[in-house]
Amino acid sequence: MKKERSRKYRALQFVRVAVQIFFFALFLYLLFRTHFTGQDYIGNVEIFFHFDPLLAVAAAIASRALYAAFVLAAVTLVATFVLGRVVCGWVCPLGALHQFFSWLFKKTKLLRPKKTVTGGLAWKYLVLVFVLVGTVFTLNLVGLVDPLSFLYRTIVTAVLPAFGQGFMMLTGFTYSLGLTGPGDALTQFYETLTVNATFRQGFLIGLIFLAFVLLNIYRERFWCRYVCPLGAFLGLASRWNVFKLKVNEHKCIKCNLCTLHCETQANPWPDEKWKSSECVYCETCAAICPTAAITFPAKSKPEKLPAVDLSRRKILAASFLAFFSVPFFRISQAAKRAHEKLIRPPGALPEKAFLEKCIKCGECMKACPTNALQPAVTEAGPEGLWTPVLVPKIGYCEYYCSLCSQVCPTGAIKELTVPEKLVVRIGTAWIDKNRCIPYFLGRPCIVCEEHCPTSPKAIKFVMVETKLPDGTVATQKAPVIDLDLCIGCGICENKCPVMDQPAIYVTSVGEQRSEKNQLLLPI
Amino acid sequence: MDRRKFLKDMGLSGLVAGLGPGLLAQAPKPAAGPELAFIVGDSPAKITKEALNVLGGMNKFVAKGDVVMIKPNIGWDRTPEMAACTNPEVVKALVEMCLGAGAKKVVVMDNTTNQAQRCYMRSGIQAAAKEAGADVPYVNERRIKKMAIKGEWLKEWDVIQDFVEADKLINVPIAKHHSLCRVTIGMKNWLGAIGDPRNQLHQKLDEAEVDLSAFFKPTLTVLDAYRILVRNGPQGGRLSDTKLLKTVVAGTDYVAVESVGASFFDIPPEELLFLKLAGQRGLGEIHWEKLRVEKRTV
Repeated sequence: MKKERSRKYRALQFVRVAVQIFFFALFLYLLFRTHFTGQDYIGNVEIFFHFDPLLAVAAAIASRALYAAFVLAAVTLVATFVLGRVVCGWVCPLGALHQFFSWLFKKTKLLRPKKTVTGGLAWKYLVLVFVLVGTVFTLNLVGLVDPLSFLYRTIVTAVLPAFGQGFMMLTGFTYSLGLTGPGDALTQFYETLTVNATFRQGFLIGLIFLAFVLLNIYRERFWCRYVCPLGAFLGLASRWNVFKLKVNEHKCIKCNLCTLHCETQANPWPDEKWKSSECVYCETCAAICPTAAITFPAKSKPEKLPAVDLSRRKILAASFLAFFSVPFFRISQAAKRAHEKLIRPPGALPEKAFLEKCIKCGECMKACPTNALQPAVTEAGPEGLWTPVLVPKIGYCEYYCSLCSQVCPTGAIKELTVPEKLVVRIGTAWIDKNRCIPYFLGRPCIVCEEHCPTSPKAIKFVMVETKLPDGTVATQKAPVIDLDLCIGCGICENKCPVMDQPAIYVTSVGEQRSEKNQLLLPI
Repeated sequence: MDRRKFLKDMGLSGLVAGLGPGLLAQAPKPAAGPELAFIVGDSPAKITKEALNVLGGMNKFVAKGDVVMIKPNIGWDRTPEMAACTNPEVVKALVEMCLGAGAKKVVVMDNTTNQAQRCYMRSGIQAAAKEAGADVPYVNERRIKKMAIKGEWLKEWDVIQDFVEADKLINVPIAKHHSLCRVTIGMKNWLGAIGDPRNQLHQKLDEAEVDLSAFFKPTLTVLDAYRILVRNGPQGGRLSDTKLLKTVVAGTDYVAVESVGASFFDIPPEELLFLKLAGQRGLGEIHWEKLRVEKRTV
């Protein structure tokens, strides 16, 4: 038997890696483009998400509405129907990342593929079932497990802040070497990136991601094999595709190398057990086969092949689990009354509709020029974990900016023009007279009034007499809020010179999107 | 390393201390030329250039090989017609003149209040100054150091080093309404040359302004009053908050320039605490009419 590997498939493997690098770079490029660039409008930087059919379906079911931009997801679906899970193997940036780490772990002998690996594949289908059954009850958890959301959120809230710290250390090192010129250049470059470097939860989100990266030591592309609901979704769509694996029995030496190194446990040999729904067309098996016995010929008549064993019992169990989980995700203060710290970005839909659509991807958090938008912890209940909330102590809503509303991939934040955004009220400012410098110390301040961006200003003055500890009385201009004018942007809280707990603060009451969370009655 | 750096810093500050009084001693003896230029006209660039002509040309202030720092007000995310930031054409004209006078490098910088990128871009100043050949960098945290301000109230504060290391410093404020000190012009503009938490200075803002002005001692002050902000300061937000004066005032006596600015708001200089303090300390002349003023319309 002639021993020679297939040149064609080895070449194809290289092409696949190049394509993966391209899409990963594109993903990062669009991510880095998601910030203020000098223009009021920044274009479709969120377009990657619109090719994701899982997000499209989940958002559509949960919100009972179609979002036009998701029409692009049809491209992915059609491609999968015809070509199989090529999106997983060639396009998905998270898949590429996991594959890179799997390769790295193999090279470093941390990962030693086992001869026979069976089972576990059904898990991702059950994750999919869980998520979709949840959406039937308007619970949209897809963002927690969708690969694009998962990756984007992690890069924005964990990787970039770490990158920022690293960059600062690099410039610090440059300066310490006395290289002021390069140090200045590095700093200016970093400034132009406008990296948001402060994210609560960033550490946790980063740890979760790290865990999935490290799981590649256990099994190659662990996430893609066992967890990814998008992979499962595309797997269901790919069973009738035209390219089917074929092992040439005359050439095959039954070395099992193909199955050993199959990235996604699709079992290339024996080929009657090959699982079309698991194959991501990475071409590894065909490329490493020592006798070039493996090919992927196109068949005019697509056939159905053995798929992952999804027993009715498992699916029912996952469905029931989802069904009984829904109320648990809704145990939240928000059900009783509005949470005072649940300040949503301008343009956010009313809370119920917002949660149905938000995929927790972090696009808005990346776009925010002041780092104000943060992943929610408990403000929105378990259902709203990692959805965006404005935290004025960290950043404030920049008056002439509507970027977050422009980049939201699902319309959870309604797209606003800048003039539309100027009049959107997201909360109301309050003064803590026990801490406010003029009220309490009898000294001048007015920093909040100075920064109030509306015209006329929502912060006005009254003259206030303050009794001082020595018995004297000081008279100062002290701030008062004009509730008709305050939009809740939070710059007053952000700039308040009372450092630890600002003497002026914003709460969600008065937010335009809510009917009930109001103070002034329109009577 | 630390010791060497310490010695270097000592040397530098010694140099500054040595040069400071020296420069003051050489301050122009009452010459025949005008001390204040008061120019009115349709083009912000032209009136700026005319103002410098009246004062004897930029060569008088900027020597060949100088590094010049221009400090406009770029504090807010507002477009030029809102009159919250210095007019970009005024800044551009100054950059051109400095380079024309042989400056090695012209830097335009401000520690902004809103996001720096938005302020730099939407004020139009970054683009205009770059077009004229200036560097318009963002504030570099690593170049902020605690310095002795040696003021009567403000003893020390974080200062952006670019402003003290430059050979020449030109203050280019815009005249605006302000609720606390009534007007904010050039002396308060120095809050954009220092580090945070500068908001805490508001407890004694007038004293801080005076101390900072005495510390920075600009070579030249060019007041942009092309369009001033009369209401809702220091940001405005509506065209109706602004007033078109089409004026530029320039001079080396920043207190006098400041007083002219106050007069645009019909406020006598004695009524403003920071001007009164500046006058009492002899930092400049608050009764600007006493100086040789040249008014022109172009």
